[in-house]
Amino acid sequence: MKFDTSGFETSMPMIGFGSSSDLLDGFSSVPSFDLPRTTDFDGFQKEAVQMVKPAKGTTTLAFIFKEGVMVAADSRASMGGYISSQSVKKIIEINPYMLGTMAGGAADCQFWHRNLGIKCRLHELANKRRISVSGASKLLANMLYSYRGMGLSVGTMIAGWDETGPGLYYVDNEGGRLKGDRFSVGSGSPYAYGVLDSGYKFDMSVAEASELARRSIYHATFRDGASGGVASVYHVGPKGWTKLSGDDVGELHYHYYPVTPAIAEQVMEEAAAE
Amino acid sequence: MSIFEYNGSAVVAMVGKNCFAIASDRRLGVQLQTIATDFKRISKIHDHLFIGLSGLATDVQTLYQRLVFRHKLYQLREERDMKPETFASLVSAILYEKRFGPYLCQPVIAGLGDDNKPFICTMDSIGAKELAKDFVVSGTASESLYGACEAMFKPDMEAEELFETISQALLSSVDRDCLSGWGGHVYVVTPNEIKERILKGRMD
Repeated sequence: MKFDTSGFETSMPMIGFGSSSDLLDGFSSVPSFDLPRTTDFDGFQKEAVQMVKPAKGTTTLAFIFKEGVMVAADSRASMGGYISSQSVKKIIEINPYMLGTMAGGAADCQFWHRNLGIKCRLHELANKRRISVSGASKLLANMLYSYRGMGLSVGTMIAGWDETGPGLYYVDNEGGRLKGDRFSVGSGSPYAYGVLDSGYKFDMSVAEASELARRSIYHATFRDGASGGVASVYHVGPKGWTKLSGDDVGELHYHYYPVTPAIAEQVMEEAAAE
Repeated sequence: MSIFEYNGSAVVAMVGKNCFAIASDRRLGVQLQTIATDFKRISKIHDHLFIGLSGLATDVQTLYQRLVFRHKLYQLREERDMKPETFASLVSAILYEKRFGPYLCQPVIAGLGDDNKPFICTMDSIGAKELAKDFVVSGTASESLYGACEAMFKPDMEAEELFETISQALLSSVDRDCLSGWGGHVYVVTPNEIKERILKGRMD
């Protein structure tokens, strides 16, 4: 069908009368742009974006509680159906008091977190004090916003402790930045949210919170095909972050749900007559 | 992801000395979400004949019911069990009937034929038979399975060693596949007995 261009014709007066004003000059020609040659005009761009968009196959979570911030993640990297690695470090140490989590493209997350670490250090040197978590997450969000639409895939949480106390921000490749107390990112996040939300209390001890985080990651790895490997748990307190545990999820399953040996029936046939 | 990878599956069969083993994973999923961890993919046709079906779960169940029906009819008419080679031809014919709207599964057939000689074969979804003397694989983890079986297989293994080999091959292959695993189900069949075992695997 012939493309209808009547909507592009402007009703503004063309050609200035007398002295041309600056305003009208910019409008003197009809705005036009190249149209793509395609049968599906509305859908093709979405298809192109979907093709380059790597699925965020992972589970990461972070929450604020009385004693600071708890950060946990799985360690599986998948390419479609193939597991390319079971031992990826998804919790990135930006500096001794700030952590970032990785979801989406591994290269994108690693590069931009390191870049953020550099910017934070430069801020410290220029201002003689540490950068706040709010400031650090804003730096990252603005950087990602300027690359919006170019196919970066980053779904990260910045967790840290600054002068105002514990801080947690979610930042993604669309340039979104959200402040919150509880986040989970990745394909396994719905399962992790289920366990995390039902077990969460603000007044938890470090031990209880780390067990909740570990359990949430374990449940996500059980249900989600793209999450698995090792469940790592980190704690960010007033003196910085510490790694609390890194348990293999395969063994965690039998720790939570031990196998009771059952006798299987064995079918016996008549022995062949000799 | 293709329709064959919608539910996720892994099936493998191996030949030993006068015995065979057939094994599968136990996951039923809907793309990345795991729905069940006790899905039966391998079914007995008669005491010396097993079929394992990988691929779309609904077709796995329907095709199995069709095949059991055909075999029961055969038993009534011929008053004996079907030979594995005959059964393989039957499956191939049934799959080709649906050439332009196929059952989206790949069967793996394993049985003991005359003189207790083990027989294995696999097929694609429209019935192309592939006979093998050592092992056959199918499912989303098939490439990993080919590698593992090639490395671990030895000819003329006894039942216990065959069980160990097929279990290790299955578990190590599904550990590299997001869509299959969550345990294993192994049948080792000798002329006198069928041993069914559940494997403890990684549940991620």
